[in-house]
Amino acid sequence: MGESLLSVKDLDVEYGDVPAVRGVSLTLEPGQVLGIAGESGSGKTTVGLSLLRLLPRSASVGGEILFRGENVSEMSWGRLRAARWAGASVVFQGAMSALNPVRTIGDQIVEPIVLHERVPRAAARARAAELLESVGVPASRRSSYPHELSGGQRQRVMIAMALACKPDLVIADEPTTALDVIVQAQILALLADLVRSSRIGMIMISHDLSVLGAVCDRLAVMYEGQIVEERPAAELLAAPRHPYTKKLCAAFPRIGDQSSRLAPDRARPDAPPVLEARGVRVTFPARYGHGAARAVDDVSLEVAPGEILALIGESGCGKSTLCRSLVGLVKPGAGEIRYDGAPLKFTPRALKRHRRRVQLVLQDPAGSLNPRQTVFDAVAEGPRLHGLRDGLTQRVRDALSRAGLRPPERFLGRYPHELSGGQQQRVLIAGALALDPAVLVADEPVSSLDASVRGEILRLILDLRAQLSLAAVIVSHDLGLAWNIADRVAVMYLGRVVETGPVEDVLLRPRHPYTRSLVSVLEAPGERVPLSGEPPDPASIPAGCRFHPRCPRLAALAASDPAAAGAAGCAVRDVPVLLPLAAHLTACHLAEVS
Amino acid sequence: MKAFLSRRGGVAGLAVLLAMAVLALAAPLFIHPSDLSVVDATGAALAPPTPHYPLGTDQPGRSVLLLVIWGARPSLAIGVIATACTVAIGAVIGLLAGHFGGAASRVLMAVTDWFIALPQLPLAISLAAVLGQGDASITIAIAVTSWSTTARIVRAQTLAVEARPFVERAHALGAGHRQVMLRQVLPNVAPIILVSSTLTVAGAILSETTLQFLGLGNPTDVSWGAMLNQAVNQGAVTRGAWWYLLPPGVAILIVVLGFTLTGRAVEDVLNPRLGTR
Repeated sequence: MGESLLSVKDLDVEYGDVPAVRGVSLTLEPGQVLGIAGESGSGKTTVGLSLLRLLPRSASVGGEILFRGENVSEMSWGRLRAARWAGASVVFQGAMSALNPVRTIGDQIVEPIVLHERVPRAAARARAAELLESVGVPASRRSSYPHELSGGQRQRVMIAMALACKPDLVIADEPTTALDVIVQAQILALLADLVRSSRIGMIMISHDLSVLGAVCDRLAVMYEGQIVEERPAAELLAAPRHPYTKKLCAAFPRIGDQSSRLAPDRARPDAPPVLEARGVRVTFPARYGHGAARAVDDVSLEVAPGEILALIGESGCGKSTLCRSLVGLVKPGAGEIRYDGAPLKFTPRALKRHRRRVQLVLQDPAGSLNPRQTVFDAVAEGPRLHGLRDGLTQRVRDALSRAGLRPPERFLGRYPHELSGGQQQRVLIAGALALDPAVLVADEPVSSLDASVRGEILRLILDLRAQLSLAAVIVSHDLGLAWNIADRVAVMYLGRVVETGPVEDVLLRPRHPYTRSLVSVLEAPGERVPLSGEPPDPASIPAGCRFHPRCPRLAALAASDPAAAGAAGCAVRDVPVLLPLAAHLTACHLAEVS
Repeated sequence: MKAFLSRRGGVAGLAVLLAMAVLALAAPLFIHPSDLSVVDATGAALAPPTPHYPLGTDQPGRSVLLLVIWGARPSLAIGVIATACTVAIGAVIGLLAGHFGGAASRVLMAVTDWFIALPQLPLAISLAAVLGQGDASITIAIAVTSWSTTARIVRAQTLAVEARPFVERAHALGAGHRQVMLRQVLPNVAPIILVSSTLTVAGAILSETTLQFLGLGNPTDVSWGAMLNQAVNQGAVTRGAWWYLLPPGVAILIVVLGFTLTGRAVEDVLNPRLGTR
């Protein structure tokens, strides 16, 4: 044959008069993975959809797309239908909405097989079972409905569906966004494996360079509808040439890379902690078929003035609940929150005073602003609630310019929908600063922002720390964020802190196997410590060390020396609860073993 | 505003309503009480339309045109006042139930359900018996039986708004219940209340007419429902006096249609998800 699996020449796509893609050319050989990186609006998804003519009618497409030597834009409707799914298939992001909620996953995998290959149903069912096993979902789950599966399993089912008709090309559009880091690593490993073993070609679209770097052979970086840089992935990530690629790379730091460590490494301040949590427990009552969830189970933390503490963990580990209890939004069932050494009483008056000094910044900047309030009202909200009416305008202006919205006059009368995501987050930070707080508690402050904006917001938090000696507790699933700006880090698993200490110690020399897995996700694919199993459920916490069912260290020890593994008592003895000391501490029975 | 002007039905509805309102408010300027008095009437009994009486006369010889214009006053007034009561009660109950949740919500919603089940006609008849016939008992009967729908709508919307992060942000900034409800939730619920109230006015005017027609109003007042009542009682049907029956009926139709068209258009504008058909 001698021709490429896919070749795109000078692809142009316009929506009305708005160009979305300009002059994009790509080629893909079988068995190769091509990554397309870019931020929202860069046109990467439009490229992916245009390959199978899945764009809306309003789009006008120019240029040439050859799939197996055949021009896609000239295919008849029947040929195109055959090419879709049997020749090339798509893995969409958001597996919950891409799967039909009222049909079993087995039926949904069988459907394209029967449709495209006209095989008997029984044969198609057998094939569906094989496919499920091959993506790591037990075949017995084929009669489950999508809502009965976890997010990772749903994404695996989507991949099985995409492979159902043995396509030559798979287009994966943000296949792991919205998944936890560990699950993400599992899915990526699966995809890489499938490509290698069945020699299909894959186009992977993502905003996350670390995801692409883990799987792709070649990487194309898109910016404003154009490809600005295209090279082998390892080369591009190691030495980006285009300034935009550099910016993008900087947003996904590699741990240990000193240039991406924005926070100066410094000794822990001697000052007494400004905000503390002592033995905090939060339990959510049982509800419809779920047992009571011990979301936070005996956690102690502290943060000193001018210190940045990162609280890291997967979704469901209790980190968001803990940060809400720090602000007094969730009342701990046991333990206490202390401010300046004095325990917080959960009375309306005490809470109000507390909330002037400890401010919360939430994950979703667009949703956290009332759509019917102007920027001025949004920032003035706090001062008004606390009766600070004198010089309100000046206070709002100061807060806005400290949050980097300069000149403030330009923003005062605007509504949230007129601002970009980064500006919205700055408005929220300004809203917090307007009360002159001592501590900022931020729940995933940059996770919904584009990569290039991420760095700006992190720098802002650092500047505020330097200027106002503001302490911050930053909650994230992303260890890279901790490496970027934190002084100390606490890693949470199933409601407990499993490892804590100065960032450089914990991230460069992780002692807990869970931390080690998290850190390895950010490393090169070969050095990963795989972690199997599903994210844990706080309603059914295992006995002994909470991590032992998924612990790779225990598994390795049990394989080499079963007696020692039994003697360690991981399955029966609870691990010690960590206190927030300056030292590097870990809660693991096997910490000394390896 | 621009979006509203592009919806022809809404503009027409609003124009009709404004015209009606102006006519009703200005009525005392060109209608003298003697025009409405049974005793001072000058026309012939149930005369068909003539240039002097464009819509004919009723049994005592009054001009039907003037009666219809005057009749807009109680219909619109009761409709608007009853709706204001409905919206006020409904919004407060819905907001409280949605905001506090739990036991308070269950109690409030149980009360709401009880009012949904309350039959309007028997209630109005009993009220008229207790308070005496008149506008007050009609207004109360309408308000009491229709606020529950608004309460349900407001509660549902409140629950949706409360789940959004900016409400949590307000709590974190130190806002209490009152501030969250008034400053965060209410502005986001207000459009829904506005839409539901324009549609409620149409319903309230229909109810008002029905109750007047059944003779629960003050018999000496002039209103559309009362006119229809008198037309039937005075034998307009058997005498073929269409000019006495038709005008109040058409007036009711126009006003109700006006409110409905306006309400629909406002709903479209405020909720783009309904789609443009």
